[in-house]
Amino acid sequence: MTDSRAMVVWGQVAAHAAAHGRRVSVADVCAVAVGSAQLSGGWLAAARGGGPDFVICVTDSVAEQLAELQLMLGEGPCLDVLASAAPVLAADLGDEEFSGRWPAFIPAARRLGAGAVFVFPLIVGAIRAGVMGLYHGSPGPLPAGQLGDLLILADTATVMLLDGAHGDADGEDAAGLDGQAPDLALHRAEIDQATGMLAMQLGVPAGAAFARLRAYAYSQDRRLADVAGDIVARRLRLHRDSGPDDGP
Amino acid sequence: MDTELLSDTFVDLADTMVADFDVIDFLHLLTDRSVALLAASAAGVVLADPRGELRVAAASSEEAGLLELFQLQNDQGPCLECFRTGRPVTATDLAGPAQRWPRFAEAAARSGFRSVEALPMRLRGQVIGALNLFGAQPGPLEAADLRIGQALADVATIGLLHERNVRRREAVAEQLQTALNSRVVIEQAKGKLAERLGIDMDRAFNMLRDYARNSNQRLTDVARAFVAGASAEFPPRSRHQPPR
Repeated sequence: MTDSRAMVVWGQVAAHAAAHGRRVSVADVCAVAVGSAQLSGGWLAAARGGGPDFVICVTDSVAEQLAELQLMLGEGPCLDVLASAAPVLAADLGDEEFSGRWPAFIPAARRLGAGAVFVFPLIVGAIRAGVMGLYHGSPGPLPAGQLGDLLILADTATVMLLDGAHGDADGEDAAGLDGQAPDLALHRAEIDQATGMLAMQLGVPAGAAFARLRAYAYSQDRRLADVAGDIVARRLRLHRDSGPDDGP
Repeated sequence: MDTELLSDTFVDLADTMVADFDVIDFLHLLTDRSVALLAASAAGVVLADPRGELRVAAASSEEAGLLELFQLQNDQGPCLECFRTGRPVTATDLAGPAQRWPRFAEAAARSGFRSVEALPMRLRGQVIGALNLFGAQPGPLEAADLRIGQALADVATIGLLHERNVRRREAVAEQLQTALNSRVVIEQAKGKLAERLGIDMDRAFNMLRDYARNSNQRLTDVARAFVAGASAEFPPRSRHQPPR
């Protein structure tokens, strides 16, 4: 059920890249998110250090200013979502809850022309890749049923950032996918457990372990969940160098 | 029903909810108490991810076979039906001939479960998940137990919301994602700890939980710090473990 929904979402992202004559990048993910949720614009920032401080793409100048504003003020939903590991779905920036949370950001954001803001952490457990922010000029909730697709798009952006950060290609482009859908079967306990095990085995941060796991699965043309299952059951062990290894 | 255990459960859950608690730890406590109070063999809290999946948030055992039983229900089973209908769903004999959910029933029976119950976690007409109970004997829960079970499912819902202001509709969705991500952090920590100390996942989970309680920290925070390599104090060194 989820797999086919993720495939549909990926199809939209790939189509967007193709329509612009380029390889798939997080800019396409962002654009599809804005379009499918009928919003005004969006931005994506990578968390190179601790915070979401490296703006990778924006769809328009308001989005750019909203992103920069939060970095300048040190306050706002982009910072909160990484701290709380939860999205911020601020359907009405006029709601007093938000002016209480972000007393400097809110009036400035509204002056820039934002009525609603929806920000998603790009994370896998303890691994932080960045944030994706979307805004609308007027207040109002997300269209019914859109949240699931936006979460899938956030997952897509997350793996693209992680694969790119730890792979051979440049930071924006998912290394070696060649238009194929990334394996988004993220939400299996074994994948998370295998990530932790690999981090320990390889002596690397969890983000690098996760990227290594994905790269191995891709190179072997196997499902991520299956590779993870083998690692957890100790049927498979990966080694520090990039050569795949089988056996205990 | 052990009324003293019932009172203790009520007090413990209320105590936990007053302090700054960890939602996954809370849901674990709830599944443990569900097993004890309702004479179930196993229990789990399954949450509905808007991405379209049912995901286990906590279970009375971290044993892989049990967790797989929750995962299976993404295709068929009582939790899926409960989530779709918003009503309690029961199967009183998973080993009998004509099964509503053949693959699920077979897997459950192999794990030693003969009966199953899924009680909806509902908020304002929205079903956000289910409390899933497994029994070793065939037969339904008694009416009194069913009421307590539904009350526990309702408590799970309230606990999930934490301190969030539910005035906003979106607060539920936000809090759900926090809980789901906490679960991922904990799984990552289990894997790393299991590998580090050469122990199984169940033991790794208990070590994380015990350390969090003893050091007065939230389970997810301990897990995250450990995964991020930012914890100098966990796992505690023992005489028998050489430093790595």
